[in-house]
Amino acid sequence: MSSITLRGIRKVYGKDVIIPDLNLVIEDGSFTVLVGPSGCGKSTTLRMIAGLEKPTAGEILIDDENVVDTDPGKRGIAMVFQNYALYPTMTVRDNIEFGLKNKRVPKAERDRLIAEVCEIVGLTPYLSRKPSALSGGQRQRVALARAMVKNPKVFLMDEPLSNLDAKLRAQMRVELIELHKRLGTTFIYVTHDQVEAMSMGDNIVLMDKGVIMQRSSPKEMYHDPQNAYTAQFIGTPPMNILTQMVPGAWVGFRPEKVTLAPAEDAALTIPGRVITREQLGAEYQYSVDTAYGKLMVKTEEEAQERCLLRVRRRHLYVFDTDGSRAPLTPELLDRLAALPREEVQP
Amino acid sequence: MSAPKKRLLTAGRKESLKGYLLIAPAILLLSVFTIYPIFYLLHSSLHDGSLLSKKRNFVGLDNFATLFGSVDFHTTLRNTIIYSVGLVAVLMVLATLFAVWVNGEAQKRLNSVTLAAVFTPHIISLVSVSTVFLWIMDPQIGAINFLLRAVGLSPFPFLASSRTALASLVGMMVWKSLGYYSLLILAALQGVPKDIYEAASIDDTPRVKVFFQITLPMISPTLFFTTIVATISSFQVFETVNLMTQGGPVNSTNTLVYQIYSDAFKYLKLGIASAEGVVLLAFVGILTILYFAFLGKKVHYQ
Repeated sequence: MSSITLRGIRKVYGKDVIIPDLNLVIEDGSFTVLVGPSGCGKSTTLRMIAGLEKPTAGEILIDDENVVDTDPGKRGIAMVFQNYALYPTMTVRDNIEFGLKNKRVPKAERDRLIAEVCEIVGLTPYLSRKPSALSGGQRQRVALARAMVKNPKVFLMDEPLSNLDAKLRAQMRVELIELHKRLGTTFIYVTHDQVEAMSMGDNIVLMDKGVIMQRSSPKEMYHDPQNAYTAQFIGTPPMNILTQMVPGAWVGFRPEKVTLAPAEDAALTIPGRVITREQLGAEYQYSVDTAYGKLMVKTEEEAQERCLLRVRRRHLYVFDTDGSRAPLTPELLDRLAALPREEVQP
Repeated sequence: MSAPKKRLLTAGRKESLKGYLLIAPAILLLSVFTIYPIFYLLHSSLHDGSLLSKKRNFVGLDNFATLFGSVDFHTTLRNTIIYSVGLVAVLMVLATLFAVWVNGEAQKRLNSVTLAAVFTPHIISLVSVSTVFLWIMDPQIGAINFLLRAVGLSPFPFLASSRTALASLVGMMVWKSLGYYSLLILAALQGVPKDIYEAASIDDTPRVKVFFQITLPMISPTLFFTTIVATISSFQVFETVNLMTQGGPVNSTNTLVYQIYSDAFKYLKLGIASAEGVVLLAFVGILTILYFAFLGKKVHYQ
């Protein structure tokens, strides 16, 4: 168990600045998820912590010790790769044992550790198989077992579930959360999938273009985004942000917080016309054309073609024109209330 | 006319006839140029006679008895095996080391130049190479001995001595083939997924162990393939022997194919030459069977 500190990390490939200046503290025992679109530098960050990439500048501290010049094998970390990166020529057992042999763990101790770990991940019947004779999920478990058996200070995971099918992914997600609870070790998990990030992490770091956009708990990520980028990254469909509604401010609300039925306390009412309707189980997802652009609505209510979108005050978010979060002032509320509520027929 | 059984060309038969028709050209060529010669070879090996006369008498296994009773043929077989094993062993080790070196991080800029320099001998005609090396390795006026003398060492006999002639031929072929086999192995090395090496570095694996326990097993199918191919082709060495040594000195470089050639076209002993051909066929056949037998077991996932 250990905390990790990134201080002034900069990473440049040739002329491309991947990460300009990253500062991040990952607490001991946390399940931290680095999330963001591809190319945002999340994997690079993870690989720098692992030691597979060297930062151009800055310090990486594991337990207050600068490890920038330490070999990956000496950092006390374990990593699970997207493609599992199992040794194809070795059996499951040899794969798991390989790192232990390198650490010169005695044979009896190795046998005990392997038996223990394989029991946890359910690999015991497959120990003598080659990875080629395993399913995707089983290979993933071998990769996990190989990481666990080393009893690392930190687990690094680089999109470990992205090669699995949807059902297996959901199952492995739960297993990973349980594993984290059981081990209590620091987990750093990289994904581009916001659902994975929200459901697994107790601490989410959202990155874009090498910059941390927001760092908070999943609940805060959703309910209290610090900027328009976060607001639109988290949530499916993304938050509606109206940049043309009032001058000098952007107004946002989540598609699932729109009411179609008349509501006395609505702070914002927008007339619109339904373009498409998708059935998502209990809910519908509407795409609605309005005077301020196309908006998304997710609700259980049935919508007529012409409808009024009503949003309550507590569901409104305001951003400055640079995207950062701004307070919802009474003056702005008045301006929203004064907007036309009936569609103007051309 | 209504009875369907009278029809000769049912749909199924038509389909299979079409198949035979399509492979007919290939079967024809294969029969004339591969299968017929093999049977002709087997047939000739059981008969005596010369290339100059039509008369052939059945002699059973006499040709083989003569062959295996002859000390010269033993020498030939030994030369061929020493040449093959020596050439393939040296070639594989050097080609692997070279490929690993070229594939390494530090050598990225050298790659194309180094590869070109090592690969070029492969595309030069073996006849030209032999002629050039005849001069380079000449004991009196050769380039290497000129250099050896210049630094005060005694000259090396190369092809002039029965003790060094075969090794000289091996050395020349190593020089000529190194690039080709390095390229094959390099391709295999570049096919090894990078993340396996990353996993190994996180597992704190020493470099030597990475090479022997990860790199070598990963490229083993290619190594196996190249070893078999190199062995088969080295078993059939002919041009260099014919051009550079004619089997001498004192039979020290006489190899199987060269002896087949001499017996058939110099001494006109067709039966004996055919029997030697059968021996060669058996050797190459065994190697090929070995290759296919092992090939199935050496395939990895992804």
